[in-house]
Amino acid sequence: MIQYFLKRLLQAIPVLLGVIIITFVLMYIIPGDPVVSMVGERYSEETVQRLRQELHLDDPLPLQFLRYVGNVLQGNFGNSFITGEPVAALIIEKFPNTMMLAITAMFFAILIGLTAGIMSSVHPGSFMDRGIMVLALAGISAPVFWVGLILVLVVGVMLQWLPPTGFGGIEYLILPALTLGLRSAAYLARLTRATMLEVLSHDYIRTARSKGLPEWKVFIKHAFPNTLIPVITIIGTDFGSYLSGAVLTESIFGWPGIGRLALEAIMKRDFPVIQGTVLFMAIMFVLMNVLVDLLYGVVDPRIRLERSGK
Amino acid sequence: MTIAYAADIRGFDPAFATDLRTGKIISLVYDNLVRFDADMNLAPAIAHNWSVNNTGRIYTFNIRNNVRFHDGTSLTINDITKSFHRILDPKISSPQTWLLERIAGAKDFMTGKADHVRGLQIANDSSLVVELDEAFAPFIQYLAMPAAAIINSNGIESLSTVPAGSGPWRLETWARDGELLFSRNKDYWDTPPITDNLRIRILSEVMTQSAEFETGSLDILEVPQGEIEYWRQYNYDQLEVEELNIWYIGMNCSRPPFDDLRLRQAMNYSIDREKIIHILLNGSAALASGPVPPQLLSEVTELRYEYNPSRAIQLLKEAGFGNSLQTEIYVAGGSGMFHVLEALQSDWAAVGITVEIKRSDWNVFKTAVREGKPDLYYLDWFADYPDGENFLYPLFYSTESMKNRNRFSDPDIDAIIIEIQGLPNNAKRQRLIADANKLIVDAAPWVFLWHSKTIYLTQQWIKGFQPSPIFNANRYMNISKMAPE
Repeated sequence: MIQYFLKRLLQAIPVLLGVIIITFVLMYIIPGDPVVSMVGERYSEETVQRLRQELHLDDPLPLQFLRYVGNVLQGNFGNSFITGEPVAALIIEKFPNTMMLAITAMFFAILIGLTAGIMSSVHPGSFMDRGIMVLALAGISAPVFWVGLILVLVVGVMLQWLPPTGFGGIEYLILPALTLGLRSAAYLARLTRATMLEVLSHDYIRTARSKGLPEWKVFIKHAFPNTLIPVITIIGTDFGSYLSGAVLTESIFGWPGIGRLALEAIMKRDFPVIQGTVLFMAIMFVLMNVLVDLLYGVVDPRIRLERSGK
Repeated sequence: MTIAYAADIRGFDPAFATDLRTGKIISLVYDNLVRFDADMNLAPAIAHNWSVNNTGRIYTFNIRNNVRFHDGTSLTINDITKSFHRILDPKISSPQTWLLERIAGAKDFMTGKADHVRGLQIANDSSLVVELDEAFAPFIQYLAMPAAAIINSNGIESLSTVPAGSGPWRLETWARDGELLFSRNKDYWDTPPITDNLRIRILSEVMTQSAEFETGSLDILEVPQGEIEYWRQYNYDQLEVEELNIWYIGMNCSRPPFDDLRLRQAMNYSIDREKIIHILLNGSAALASGPVPPQLLSEVTELRYEYNPSRAIQLLKEAGFGNSLQTEIYVAGGSGMFHVLEALQSDWAAVGITVEIKRSDWNVFKTAVREGKPDLYYLDWFADYPDGENFLYPLFYSTESMKNRNRFSDPDIDAIIIEIQGLPNNAKRQRLIADANKLIVDAAPWVFLWHSKTIYLTQQWIKGFQPSPIFNANRYMNISKMAPE
């Protein structure tokens, strides 16, 4: 198992290197100039030249690239052009906020999505099944931005049950987490229902029923665990994307996370912060994928056996 | 008390306070030698008085001895000279050196030829003499700018995250992209702020700000352009501030087709600005009759370019453009004024000028303008300090315009601007500002649009809010908050 884990991690290295190269090239291809974001409205040409020199912006691109990779290998992600703060510190400052939002959003997604999916599959074609599936379709189709604003308006402004936006205690976490989690919930509901229906048609379910097991036991003990492989895949990839920040949700709710950090950096052409956040996001994705792989083995003994070569 | 900003600040280092929001925050936590009061007058701050000698070159500042930094240490005259040296120090690389580089010997210090600035002289413990290379009237106003704030010499290391000033507000916490929390500085040398706390929340979405105001979580709301109509139905206290600004369209005067005066004038004549102000801007702007806002002029400038499409068509004909002119206008995506651009576009189309709108993000836009790429661009200018000179030199003086803006150059106007800079504030200077304003209107390097107003709403429990048109004069000193009913 550990060997497998390490192998997967090693495989991630070319992926991360690819991410670094692509981000680096893209940053220099897109128009714009970081110095313009730094100098304000009144400045002299000498100031611009001095800053360019200081930030090594006029060095040949390959040299800049090698310097960057060299620094990253030493754990140095550089300093923000705009604030002068170390990029690593900025990411470390934001990550707990992003993590908190991601976990809560995923909690809502799993709770709502799996419950709705299982309930839906109990009586396929029933009124409840159709109702849930219509809601799920709406959940998948509704843009995050719209859902967020509606929640702010209805729950925050009209009903005043929760503060519309902001950052702090748990009361501030619910609306953004719901906004972020609802789409995954909708997707999970549909996926769980479809997989459950497929599983329920298998012979072993008939056997379980013919043994005289109560229906809830058939569902929860025999059918549900067999739906977990696709469900875990979705949860894993969605969680990976949550961990790399949710720009829209964070902007609507004034949530200080990684997504806004990245967006601001892109707007201002703050190259070190762009590089750092994109690399961080890539690492999160890779880690989540490895974790999902490992979980496959936990929920399905057959996969465990294949890996150990038996 | 709680207010909102649309984006976070850069930090607390005055040397890098190049944007409006950072500048506003710097003015809360730091003091300068002088500052602007709510009525735009220069007022004493750390300097309790000052004088200029008759050559206009030598300033003497008498310094208060009761100013303390937030860490309790006394502000001394050494802190002042160190702060000024720091801005000019090439190792700091501050983009704001322009504020102080006219001090005698500053250039030598900046290039490493001298180890200190010759023109900064400590006369005694309580007076500082500043000698300039030559008479330069705006200098005293420069000293009220954020980058000229006085820094505690003990706190220089951590300025990007922790302020080291003596201002009326102390920083309590800063959650980047979340909020800034300040408490009143009880030991302030002047009357401290009335309210205990000032919370500035970072809310990038317009609708989010409105929602927070509606639920009472924000005490003051700067009404976004698009929501003026919406808020009229409510009964909030409303304050309208005529800002010192100008919205304009820059025309590249250095190459065809806009090197032709007749075309530039036709561009001005062909647009119905009054209609746009009335319908699209909900009346929240005043027609501009030139670059300098009326508050900074001693006399009323007549409106030179009234809406006159037939005059525009005639000028285009004289210039030989007929119906065939095609060009592009650059605009920054975040300006929220796209509908205004479309209205202008249709007015120009009506006289035979086809203008394509090119939208990009702010950074790409500014880079393009700097490089002189656009034929036309849509932009604004907000005052650094309340002086007509601030709407002339940075925008129209040849070397400034040729390098950074719309490539306009006129030696006569240059000469007047330089004369204005050398004169103390008197009737002659006022006359020259009006003259320069008029000459620029005649030369039409821009399409002059309007001076915008800002509308603030306050909750009924907020008293004493008096916004100033100068960005760093708003220090929230006299605001009191009663308990909400």
